[in-house]
Amino acid sequence: MTLQKRTLQRYRQLFPNETLRETSARTSIQITRVFRLFNGKTMKVVELEAFERIINKKIGENPCYGNFCKIIDEASVVLTNKELTNLTETISRKISLKNYSKFYQFTEEQNISIA
Amino acid sequence: MKGLSSIERIILESIGTKSLTYKEVLNQTGLQENVCFNVLQALIIRGLLKSEGGHFKLTDSISPLMLEEINSSDAKKFECFELLEALIEQKINKVFRFQKIAMDSKDEKIFLAMLSNLETFLIDAHRKAEKVTPMKERKVIFWGVGEMQILLNQLIRG
Repeated sequence: MTLQKRTLQRYRQLFPNETLRETSARTSIQITRVFRLFNGKTMKVVELEAFERIINKKIGENPCYGNFCKIIDEASVVLTNKELTNLTETISRKISLKNYSKFYQFTEEQNISIA
Repeated sequence: MKGLSSIERIILESIGTKSLTYKEVLNQTGLQENVCFNVLQALIIRGLLKSEGGHFKLTDSISPLMLEEINSSDAKKFECFELLEALIEQKINKVFRFQKIAMDSKDEKIFLAMLSNLETFLIDAHRKAEKVTPMKERKVIFWGVGEMQILLNQLIRG
């Protein structure tokens, strides 16, 4: 996945229900340009920076994330390899379960084809 | 991720040697539609399931390496963690006891014998109801006993 795709995906995770108009206002990027970017048009560095700045600001508002990063840093120094492996496994399982609960809309026709 | 998550395993166990439709898998597992759909897709991609004429069944040739990964003690340990966590966090009809008990050696022997009886009872109960009880209605039961000193030292060693 490219850096641009990763950034847009992260942005969508943090602002799942935001309209293009709201994204445009938040990033100061023109609405038609925002539409094109979400449809795969290549970003300029300044646009990528605008998205990243907003993502970092949003993440910074969540104290849990800061604590989590701090604890992970400390864990990587203090814990044994086995304990780190166990932690990694636990976190990756939680992520996997979370991903399974994502809702992908599919039509009745597609529904039948997978059944 | 090592092995399977508890949700993936429940779907594989529901299908077992049978061949089930999407609706039947949903009915067996009681999962939400989107979760069930996503897990089935993931299992197909991993080569554990195949879809034939609207029915899902286990792949005939699961590689020994994959089988070893699925059934490894580590994989089962993490599945146990997941379900234990879910049980502790359960909001309704929760039955969970965690106690530190002082026990003399005589009572300990009695307790271990009762655990052995419990295990026999559970095996019999499972055998009787296995065919008619869908996966979603099965009970998840944990038990175990350890000595405090040994457990604490284990925690510190990591």
